[in-house]
Amino acid sequence: MNSSPPPFFKQGPSANARLVFFSLLAIALLVVDSRFALLGRLRQGIATVLYPVQRTLLVPRDVIHVGAEYVGEVGRLRAENAELRRIETANANALLQTEQLAAENRQLRRLLAMRERTVLRSTVAEVLYDARDAFSRRLVLDKGVQHGVAAGQPVIDADGVIGQVTRVYPLSSEVTLVTDRESTIPVEVRRSGERRLAFGGSIPGPVGLRYLRPNAAGPPGDVPVPPGRDGLFPPGLREGRVRSEVAGSPAFVRVLVVPAAQGDRTRLLLVLLAEPPQVPKMVAPEDGEPRRRGRGG
Amino acid sequence: MQMRPQYLLLPANRAFITFTIVAAFVLNVLPWGHAPGIPDLLALVLVFWNVHQPRMVGIGIAFLFGLLMDVHDAALFGEHALSYTLLSYGAIAMHRRVPWFHMFGQMLHVLPLFLLTQWIVLLVRLAIGGAFPGWQWFLQSASCTLLWPLADWLLLAPQRQAVDRDENRPI
Repeated sequence: MNSSPPPFFKQGPSANARLVFFSLLAIALLVVDSRFALLGRLRQGIATVLYPVQRTLLVPRDVIHVGAEYVGEVGRLRAENAELRRIETANANALLQTEQLAAENRQLRRLLAMRERTVLRSTVAEVLYDARDAFSRRLVLDKGVQHGVAAGQPVIDADGVIGQVTRVYPLSSEVTLVTDRESTIPVEVRRSGERRLAFGGSIPGPVGLRYLRPNAAGPPGDVPVPPGRDGLFPPGLREGRVRSEVAGSPAFVRVLVVPAAQGDRTRLLLVLLAEPPQVPKMVAPEDGEPRRRGRGG
Repeated sequence: MQMRPQYLLLPANRAFITFTIVAAFVLNVLPWGHAPGIPDLLALVLVFWNVHQPRMVGIGIAFLFGLLMDVHDAALFGEHALSYTLLSYGAIAMHRRVPWFHMFGQMLHVLPLFLLTQWIVLLVRLAIGGAFPGWQWFLQSASCTLLWPLADWLLLAPQRQAVDRDENRPI
């Protein structure tokens, strides 16, 4: 028979009771996870157990990739190789100059008794997969705590900032792209020197700078950069191109910026192993009157 | 109405059920990316076993696999757990009714169930601050429903075998 007759007495809790119990448990987990960061350990534990399974499952996909490359892409690879050689030669000169400038800069800084810029450590990480979650834009990388990755570190590719590490597991980590709705990164509009936060949009694509003065944003094509003063994002990274202005109110405009780096196209990324900046402790002023800082932009 | 033949099914094999649920989880964990309409196979298999074997696969198992999906999927902890709990309850609530319908009728029963749970997930994520993924997100329910006949054929195949094989018998 397909199913044996149901037991008369030992039936356990009713379906309604189970529904209430498990939904309340799930809702509690949701609230705890979104409000307090208490479940990190549990998540890390399960992720470590799941990791070998996930890696094994990526093997067939990678085999298909490699096979396709062997068969059809020799010509493209040759062209790419030639192009890279050309760029390398062109860059050799710039590299030499950079080394010279760095040495000179170090000397000058020592002369001025300034703190030396720390050399930025970084690690190359491979994109394992695009997280399937439809509500956010995240990538999973194959480098984790074991390789020195920590939450908050910026992730870049050849074109500019891609996102920030938001969750780390022992052997992998999650990167939230700049286009994700919950992502904010510091930006300086090079033309006017204004510093703003770039917010990810609800639609994948452009990120927005809010509350800019109408004349502050550059013409379409201008390049906002991270200011490099937070100790996290190195100065000089490209962020994207100004695409259009959206008028918010008469006083301010919202500027849409197309990110320079498109996270879903590249497979190799660079995680900058920046230490989270050491913020000096606020010391209460002697007179007890808290000093107010101007909020004008 | 023409009577459909009623098969007497063999008892369900616990090991086979476990295997199918784990296999569906493994298929879900494959790197599918962001293409719309990728079916949630784990939800499909869980609903199927909840309908056909509610005393073997209950709400607790659905909840547990929801937690596993939460870790993999980079979603908020508890999101899949909640959705699978509700799915499982809905499926168990109609488990006496659904198997009596023909295939199309069964599909009409499970489609609203999948849609309802997707709505609840949507509401939870929007409340927490996610971005609206677009209406094509609901294609997932449609593709799950379209796979229902396949699930019925594959998952009940071991139970449709004959008790003792006989060369002269047609099945």
